[in-house]
Amino acid sequence: MKILVLIPAKDEKAKIFSVVREIKDCGFEVLVIDDGSSDNTGELAKAAGAKVLRHVINRGQGAALRTGLSYALKGDYQAVVFFDADGQMLASEIEKLLEPLLLKRAEVVLGSRFLGRAENISFSKLITLKLALLFTKLTTGLKLTDVHNGFQAWDLSALEKITLTQDRYAYASEILKEIAHKRLRYQEVPVTIKYTDYSKKKGQSIFNALHILWDLMIKK
Amino acid sequence: MLIQFILIFFILLLVLRLIWQLKNKEISGWQFLSWLVIWFLAIIIIWYPQVTIFLAGQLGVGRGVDLVIYLSVILLFYLLFRLLLRIERVEKNITKITQELAVKKDQNHESD
Repeated sequence: MKILVLIPAKDEKAKIFSVVREIKDCGFEVLVIDDGSSDNTGELAKAAGAKVLRHVINRGQGAALRTGLSYALKGDYQAVVFFDADGQMLASEIEKLLEPLLLKRAEVVLGSRFLGRAENISFSKLITLKLALLFTKLTTGLKLTDVHNGFQAWDLSALEKITLTQDRYAYASEILKEIAHKRLRYQEVPVTIKYTDYSKKKGQSIFNALHILWDLMIKK
Repeated sequence: MLIQFILIFFILLLVLRLIWQLKNKEISGWQFLSWLVIWFLAIIIIWYPQVTIFLAGQLGVGRGVDLVIYLSVILLFYLLFRLLLRIERVEKNITKITQELAVKKDQNHESD
């Protein structure tokens, strides 16, 4: 099975090199989508051995992932893994995430930090995620233990079945909605998310949750 | 009353700008016409406020001014909604262009 790891990245010069290196060391191909960085994220990713596509202006994580997906669909890949650029995921867990795909037990594998470990998670983040979980259960009926976890593995044929339109973070909710809609076979796998001061600074603030809700309601 | 002259003076300026925009083909004839109708109605209402009092009475709204405000708010919301949709479309197009550019640039590099 030919696998491509997709990393949307914006201004991640501090972490991108080591993140790409770790994944390469595990033997996977990496595509970094440099989403209009103002630093040298793209060059660093390239130096670390990743293939790099560059958005000339920032269009958001959802848009960057779509760019990566269309690249994967044109190549002869069978599966993609979504990975974060800020170093809060473990490259060593990609293998585990891919297992249900390889065994044909699922078309989509979603990482769950609540089945696994959410190291140093802040209380406000925890509350927001639990609320998002409730929101997802009510709107999609999916029984999940975690939502908005960017660590996912997809069979490319399943990705072709879904339609993604959201440019920004709301894509994460859109993906879950599509999984429910198209009745894709999904499975959750425990993963570790390490919250560090760096990833907390780069990551989602609680107020973004309101943005995401707005996007989901207005932009369709 | 002085306020009537001031308001109509400003509206006439806006109408002049409309004509200028039409001449430069910045707006379509259809857009020009709809704006012209809106401003024409505004002038009538400013010059003969009794019209709104009459209409308000017919519709069961207390005062003429209230009717004008209600209608204005509805119109504003409608325009705001259209603007939101338009911005959304523009955003989508920008994303599409950015994505195409990313892929195209990559292909150019490969052929280097």
